[in-house]
Amino acid sequence: MIEVRELTKRYGPTLALDRLSFQAHPGRVTGFLGPNGAGKSTTLRVIVGLHGPTSGVALVNGRRYAEISRPLYEVGALLDAGAVHPGRTAFKQLACLARSHRIGTSRVKTLLEQVGLQDVAHKRIGGFSLGMRQRLGIAAALLGDPGVVLLDEPVNGLDAEGIHWVRGLMRTLASEGRTVLLSSHLMSEMALTVDHVLIIGRGRLIAESSMEDLAKRFRRDILVRSPMHVELGGVLRAAGMSVSSEPRGGLVVTGSDTATIGDLAAERRIPIHELTQRSATLEDVYLEMTDEAADYRAGGRRSL
Amino acid sequence: MTLQTAPSRNASAETTVSVLASVMDVAAAEWLKLRTMRAAWVVWAGAAVSTLIGLIIIMGHVGSYDQATPGQQASFESADPAVAVMPLVAFFIGTLSALVMTTEFSTGSIAPSLVAVPQRRTLLAAKSVVVTCVALAGGVLFASLSQIGAMLILGDRPAPLNPWTHWWEAVPPAAGTAVTTLATGLVALGLGAVLRSAAATVAVIGALTLVVPMFAHVLPEPVHLWVASVLIPNLAPQIAGAESAYLLAPPVAAAVLAFYVVVTLGAASLSFSRRDS
Ligand SMILES: Nc1ncnc2c1ncn2[C@@H]1O[C@H](COP(=O)(O)OP(=O)(O)OP(=O)(O)O)[C@@H](O)[C@H]1O
Ligand SMILES: [Mg+2]
Repeated sequence: MIEVRELTKRYGPTLALDRLSFQAHPGRVTGFLGPNGAGKSTTLRVIVGLHGPTSGVALVNGRRYAEISRPLYEVGALLDAGAVHPGRTAFKQLACLARSHRIGTSRVKTLLEQVGLQDVAHKRIGGFSLGMRQRLGIAAALLGDPGVVLLDEPVNGLDAEGIHWVRGLMRTLASEGRTVLLSSHLMSEMALTVDHVLIIGRGRLIAESSMEDLAKRFRRDILVRSPMHVELGGVLRAAGMSVSSEPRGGLVVTGSDTATIGDLAAERRIPIHELTQRSATLEDVYLEMTDEAADYRAGGRRSL
Repeated sequence: MTLQTAPSRNASAETTVSVLASVMDVAAAEWLKLRTMRAAWVVWAGAAVSTLIGLIIIMGHVGSYDQATPGQQASFESADPAVAVMPLVAFFIGTLSALVMTTEFSTGSIAPSLVAVPQRRTLLAAKSVVVTCVALAGGVLFASLSQIGAMLILGDRPAPLNPWTHWWEAVPPAAGTAVTTLATGLVALGLGAVLRSAAATVAVIGALTLVVPMFAHVLPEPVHLWVASVLIPNLAPQIAGAESAYLLAPPVAAAVLAFYVVVTLGAASLSFSRRDS
């Protein structure tokens, strides 16, 4: 369980977090979504105590992070996969972290296998690709088998197989009752992984919703294709729906649902070639919601 | 972690025990980090090479002594490795100790380190434990090596070239330089935590151990003596109670040395626990 209350963080003149409040609960994957510079990484850094908040609090399992002794058993975090000593091997890197918590090297070995780095375990990290470092960072986060997992852009640099693996991993961790908080600036990446979405922009919480509700809220219209589209249009209008025509004989219907339209067509023996519920893509939704909040927009214009 | 839950045991004793236990675990992790840092081995090699070079210089000094007239010989400076070798060794060990801190900042590995050990004083204490062991061991090792080397080179040549008439007279000065080397290590660690940059820390340590002692004599006389008496490398003979031109009695010299360490580690503790990392 993570609880952030009225968190504010200033870096000199930059207001990175502006009275941000949210909670992330056990048993689900909470997605932390926002454009570049929104404050996602800052929030995670404040949660694990790397940066001190200007005001407000961040609690993990009801305590400030620095109050937890041997925190790797409670919290795992991947913040910046590049933040490692390049001269160390993957194995030694994890062993150094493990030693401070009396975690044995057999656990280190198991984790390296789990993240698919067993073949390069004794190679220096300096020669690792971004994706390999990311895997190593995920292994580090899981060292102490923690109940709370924080991941900043975990799929960054991963290949298709890696992305698939991380998604599965997040789902598994949540289904085991753990609290999983992951950040991303890509909605598409979240759609398949996340149960609950927090959208932030310019350090503020813009929207919070379950993934399901978010998808529902932005359901737009229904596209119907039929060889008898003129007749069908009449029937649907008579049933009180608003109908407009589309090139190539399609009808765009709002104010109803696919079941009703299908039933009406069947009653009149009108053949249906296509019946599609169209939603705004989650990407559109996200862009819409974060538009005002974006620090940086396409075209390089910076809004203040 | 609780080691014991007997009701008779009081809570503060238990926390002290568990804090100590956790410092030792973190120190073990820090020791592993140091062993897997390649730059550290380069610095060790630097200390070894500078010991060798110091001994070669002593050899040259002894060579020119042998060719000098008895009158010149009487005014020869002593071939003391505490002067010819140990300041450089202290500089290298200071560099090594600084790296224990600054490497974490330069590579960003301070983030995972602090995520594992968010109690910053515990982390600093653990690093101090490692630096204490390494700097003291290095100090003792190189002080002994350079003293033994110098003795072999000097043979039975007399004073003033030979600083010792009996071998055991070499022990207190060697111990003195080992202690100042240890202090240099801890000061470097503290400075590293404050400055967070290897280059800046090494520059300051170089100034403290090499440059300022070398150029202090440009100061007018009484001032020079006062300043020179409190410079870290010059505290070694004063702590050892060896004959020297400096002003401080051994306990005062030891207190001055301790003051350096307390001030820098105190500043480190404040800066490290207050600033964002
Ligand atoms: N150490 C720092 N010093 C100064 N400003 C900072 C620092 N870290 C972050 N900021 C500023 O705080 C704001 C939020 O940055 P943050 O890194 O949290 O964004 P983010 O949501 O993680 O973005 P991205 O998607 O690009 O990773 C930005 O304006 C950034 O410039
Ligand atoms: Mg970020």
